[in-house]
Amino acid sequence: MSRGLWDRETVALLLLAALMPMAMLWLWYGGAAAFGRLWLALLVAGAWHLLFMLARAQPPSFAGALSALAIAMLAPVELGPLRLALGISFGVIAGELVFGGWGRNLVNPATVALAFLGFGFPAAPWPDLLAPLAWAAIPAALIGLAAGVMPAGVIGGALAAGLAAQAAAPLPPGIWIAASVALVLLVADPVASAGTRLGRWLNGALYGGLVILFAHWWTGAAPVQIAVAAALLASLTAPLLDEAAIALWLAQRRRRLGQS
Amino acid sequence: MTRRFDLWATLTDPLIRQNPVTLQILGICSALAVTTSVATALTMAVSLTVVLTLSAGVISVIRRHIPDTIRLIVQIVIIASLVIVIDQVLQAYFIEISRALSVFVGLITTNCLVLGRTEAYARYHPPHHAMVDAFGNGLGYSLILIVIGALRELLGKGTLLGQPVLPLAEAGGWFTPLSLMLQPPAAFFLLGLAVWAIRSVRSEQAEPPQSAELVRKEPGE
Repeated sequence: MSRGLWDRETVALLLLAALMPMAMLWLWYGGAAAFGRLWLALLVAGAWHLLFMLARAQPPSFAGALSALAIAMLAPVELGPLRLALGISFGVIAGELVFGGWGRNLVNPATVALAFLGFGFPAAPWPDLLAPLAWAAIPAALIGLAAGVMPAGVIGGALAAGLAAQAAAPLPPGIWIAASVALVLLVADPVASAGTRLGRWLNGALYGGLVILFAHWWTGAAPVQIAVAAALLASLTAPLLDEAAIALWLAQRRRRLGQS
Repeated sequence: MTRRFDLWATLTDPLIRQNPVTLQILGICSALAVTTSVATALTMAVSLTVVLTLSAGVISVIRRHIPDTIRLIVQIVIIASLVIVIDQVLQAYFIEISRALSVFVGLITTNCLVLGRTEAYARYHPPHHAMVDAFGNGLGYSLILIVIGALRELLGKGTLLGQPVLPLAEAGGWFTPLSLMLQPPAAFFLLGLAVWAIRSVRSEQAEPPQSAELVRKEPGE
């Protein structure tokens, strides 16, 4: 991904462009409060990127804006700026910058920040996402897929799991909205998701499966909380799924070509 | 021993430069488990320092008489006896804290820090050297434990040693406790941040990159 036009920032900008329909809609409905949250998230994430550039010569990335957007949209409400800033700082530093910047991180920094805020302040209510956001997630995913910056297998696997579950036992619409928004914002991330073809399908299916599991048996959890927890576990499992896919490929190859 | 014994350096080196917890990553099991409040961290730190110093002294005294083949058993017997004494003292005089520490005082026996110092240092050095070294290592462990314990209690409950420090939001103040700090992951975060901070300042502690190949091949981003 570093030939000609295709460097890291191109991918980040295309991802930002893909998320624009959703972001615009969210800002349109959220009004001044949404603008305030997004502004704070951008400011904090940008400040840390700048600091790491000065202290460790790590090039800052537009991916900071991606994390800021995801955190602003999904973070628990009524936290106040100070605690929100603490969560964003933790996510951006421990999730991304200590590893050397975007592209080397293991987990999406926004997922880390959201999980931190969720565990740290369990009393804060999670946001209610509006139904139009889920519809806006469809063009976002389509733009991302068309530009080749979102992994198709992850989205396909999650959709397959979701549709299968819907056929067996319908999920509440709130879960569908939260899960699809989190799928586009957090899970379908070219860095933190699985890298092999089979691994990506498994990763998406695992995310979908976890959402279904939590939706049915996690009593008292908000839809966004369920989606964030599933996204965290799915992205932590991504390296294992890749490893399994590679082991499977090696075993097939050995069977076909004989020992050598 | 041709080199002169430097008492001050032996005592102070383990505080930061050779800190057993942050450099050698020894004894972190108990360091993570008992740091939810300063009181438990302090008790654990004192217990471990006492056990470590005394066991290093005893083992060093009989170091020429311990057969090599059974040295670990002998060391563990000595350490375990001291741990039992400490545990009984805690149960007799500080029953509350003893309950809060639960099994972790007993587990000092298997703390790799204690066995590490007796195995690596006390077996080869005369008693007063071994005890100074053990005491310094105990202090280094205590330093980390108390710093992490203080941070976790302050951010998690707004108190220090049970005394309110930050005004709580429930009582009309501004501080809302970060309940994550009282859960085990917070200890990992804080210890990781501490290791990071120390290794940034003292870059000689940083480990070499595991894969030189990978570092070289990446084009300039």
